[in-house]
Amino acid sequence: MTEYKMFEGCTIGNRIPFIEAASRKVFDKVGIETSQTNFSCCPDPTGMKSFDNDAWLAIGARNLCLAEAEGKDIISLCNGCTNTLRGVQHQLKHNSWKKDKINKELAKIGKEYKGSIDIKHFVDVLSDNLDKVKGAITKPLNGLKVAVHPGCHYMRPAEWMESDDPMRPTTLKKLVEASGATVVDYGEEILCCGSAVTNAYEEHGFANLKIKMDAIKKSGADVIAVNCPACYQQFDTRQRDLGKAYETEYDTPAMYITELYALAMGFTPDDIGLKFHRIRLTSTLEKLGL
Amino acid sequence: MTVDFEFRKQVMDYHIGSDLIKYCFQCSRCADNCPVTNVTTDFYTTTGYNPRSNILNALLGYKDAIFSADALTIWGCTVCDTCNEVCPQNIELTEIFTLLKNQSVANGNAPDFIYSQARAIFDSAKAIPTQPAIERRREQLGLPPVAEPDVSEFRTLLKNIGADKKLK
Ligand code: SF4
Ligand code: SF4
Repeated sequence: MTEYKMFEGCTIGNRIPFIEAASRKVFDKVGIETSQTNFSCCPDPTGMKSFDNDAWLAIGARNLCLAEAEGKDIISLCNGCTNTLRGVQHQLKHNSWKKDKINKELAKIGKEYKGSIDIKHFVDVLSDNLDKVKGAITKPLNGLKVAVHPGCHYMRPAEWMESDDPMRPTTLKKLVEASGATVVDYGEEILCCGSAVTNAYEEHGFANLKIKMDAIKKSGADVIAVNCPACYQQFDTRQRDLGKAYETEYDTPAMYITELYALAMGFTPDDIGLKFHRIRLTSTLEKLGL
Repeated sequence: MTVDFEFRKQVMDYHIGSDLIKYCFQCSRCADNCPVTNVTTDFYTTTGYNPRSNILNALLGYKDAIFSADALTIWGCTVCDTCNEVCPQNIELTEIFTLLKNQSVANGNAPDFIYSQARAIFDSAKAIPTQPAIERRREQLGLPPVAEPDVSEFRTLLKNIGADKKLK
């Protein structure tokens, strides 16, 4: 199998590395090979792109140059990084004056963007290798009820993400089902977690998150399956404050799809650092007999 | 309301599909599906966040209506990209909103977290810099150290583009 350049991203690499640990373990089992290089921040498609589109393009293009130099495609662990790197590629491929402008800047640091590599979200790579994933599962998560949250930037804008259906996504559902768990529909699957707006206007972000969480609670889900560190953090760190703001209890744990897989592939909660979750996973693990 | 023709031209030129924005017929599908409009407005109010009015004001060149209003007018958008998908005219609304946000940043009117993230990226080439405690945790988890970027090369690039001048 081809080797990818690993793009773990700032949030996973430098804040919640246990998600990288679970992901690498799962990649090993499935036979997805990766290697590292000196990538910078992607940068953030909601922060840096809003700050200055040209700076966002230049930084993203510089990262793409590093992978191009080795002739390898990128595998990203994060919706935001995938969205940025694919979005940068989209702008540069369809806008020749922007490409010329950025390449003029890159030339000053001895680089040139060519557009010769592809950027893959790890969910799509796992989905392409679903047979191998299923073959590696030794402890199916039977009985676990999972609400899926693929997250906006995994599939939108469809124009450049070219992954799942932007309004009726199915890939994450399919991946969760392969683990032996049961997907519960809650009707708000494509609603944004609201991470960006919560940073600027907490009350509006919480009002949105409440709609999402009320639907998830009603569905009786044990866990929310995610594939983005920003969504993960929104669910893991902000449910408590949401509960305080609305005087209700919200405590459904969020888990990366690769954390669910790691458990289903026989790794222990300690192997993958599940204790670093803010929302306790005790009852979830009990249900799985772990 | 005055029309700013320079601003109008910038808006028209910004979209990758050039002047697509002028085909907006104000159907409001964007606002009807926007999660932030949903929690900041009701049927009877004209306040709150509204992508449809932002597109209208941008395409008419009503610069003041966008930039002199409450910052929520621009920064309410949580970049979920739903509007792009539901727009029957294939307008990439969020690309236009990027232009509005970039200008708001240059005017010094963006929310603090936008400037603080840009500062962290400028200083360390990472939105979240390496920290000793996390490095130790990576080691305990059997992870390799994060491959550190070339910060000085990275900063040269940003300075040449002039992005450092927008920092606070
Ligand atoms: S959905 Fe598109 S055409 Fe309709 S109001 Fe919004 S931008 Fe205009
Ligand atoms: S991208 Fe922004 S404007 Fe469009 S639907 Fe999402 S929050 Fe609303």
